[in-house]
Amino acid sequence: MKPLLNGLLLFIFLYLLFDVFVKSHTMGLSIKTVSTTLFGNADEFLDPMNKSVFLEFVHMQIFFLMMILLTLSAVFVRLLHQKRNTILVLNIVMLFALLSPITLVAAYFYSTEFVGIYLFAFFTWHTLALYMTLASLWELNIAK
Amino acid sequence: MPNSAYKVAINYFILFSLLLLASGALLFADKIGFSYHSILTYYLGNEAAFESPKTYEGVLKIILPHIFAFGLFVMVILHFVIFTQKRNTKEFTALIYLAFLSAFFELFSPFMILEGFEFFAYVKIFSFFLFEGTILYTLFILFKSILYN
Repeated sequence: MKPLLNGLLLFIFLYLLFDVFVKSHTMGLSIKTVSTTLFGNADEFLDPMNKSVFLEFVHMQIFFLMMILLTLSAVFVRLLHQKRNTILVLNIVMLFALLSPITLVAAYFYSTEFVGIYLFAFFTWHTLALYMTLASLWELNIAK
Repeated sequence: MPNSAYKVAINYFILFSLLLLASGALLFADKIGFSYHSILTYYLGNEAAFESPKTYEGVLKIILPHIFAFGLFVMVILHFVIFTQKRNTKEFTALIYLAFLSAFFELFSPFMILEGFEFFAYVKIFSFFLFEGTILYTLFILFKSILYN
């Protein structure tokens, strides 16, 4: 079971890490770049993101998000259920992960102010998910 | 403690599933539309509106990732029902068949439309709503079970 979980956690770790790089090149990771991707920029002759393309992007993100977090939380709970902050971490990561696509949709359809909340939610859930991965790896291999 | 933590994770999974269903419905409404004519126009094209018909390769490219995603999503959601009181009931068996069959018809009915069987536009709409309804009902079972058991 140990090598199996190690392999899974390693791949989740890599996914989380590279997801940040990919997002920085596709959607952007600052308020300015995300806004430019979503709404375009007339000065730089950049078109806004098409509605269908945007909905496809969000739909796909939700699927990956739920599968990654379900798998990671199952391993995290199995290995760290005796720790006091397990449920707290689980709640926070899930809440911010839920907030991430919701605020992106709100930014596209309602107000650009949601872009900041989206970015905060995106970085928070990524950081906590990375912590969950590393804590699980620690518990699996190093902790007694 | 592990059980309550798993319940938290499943509760959030239910919320994510609702978001996935909602975004899927929005996408369907935006790209294809929920009427018989909009489905036919999307797949068969419309010369007057300069819309070209879809090709078999084009449709296959769209449904290929969905074949895997639908199977995985349905399996993950339905396997949670095993931990509820609905386990080993005829209702659970019916849900399994309904979910997989509606997913199958939702994915493959466009090929029949391209073959000229326009009636399959109705099959596409009906199977889409049947799939969403089946999944919503399964999510309701899971939520109720977590709430009361």
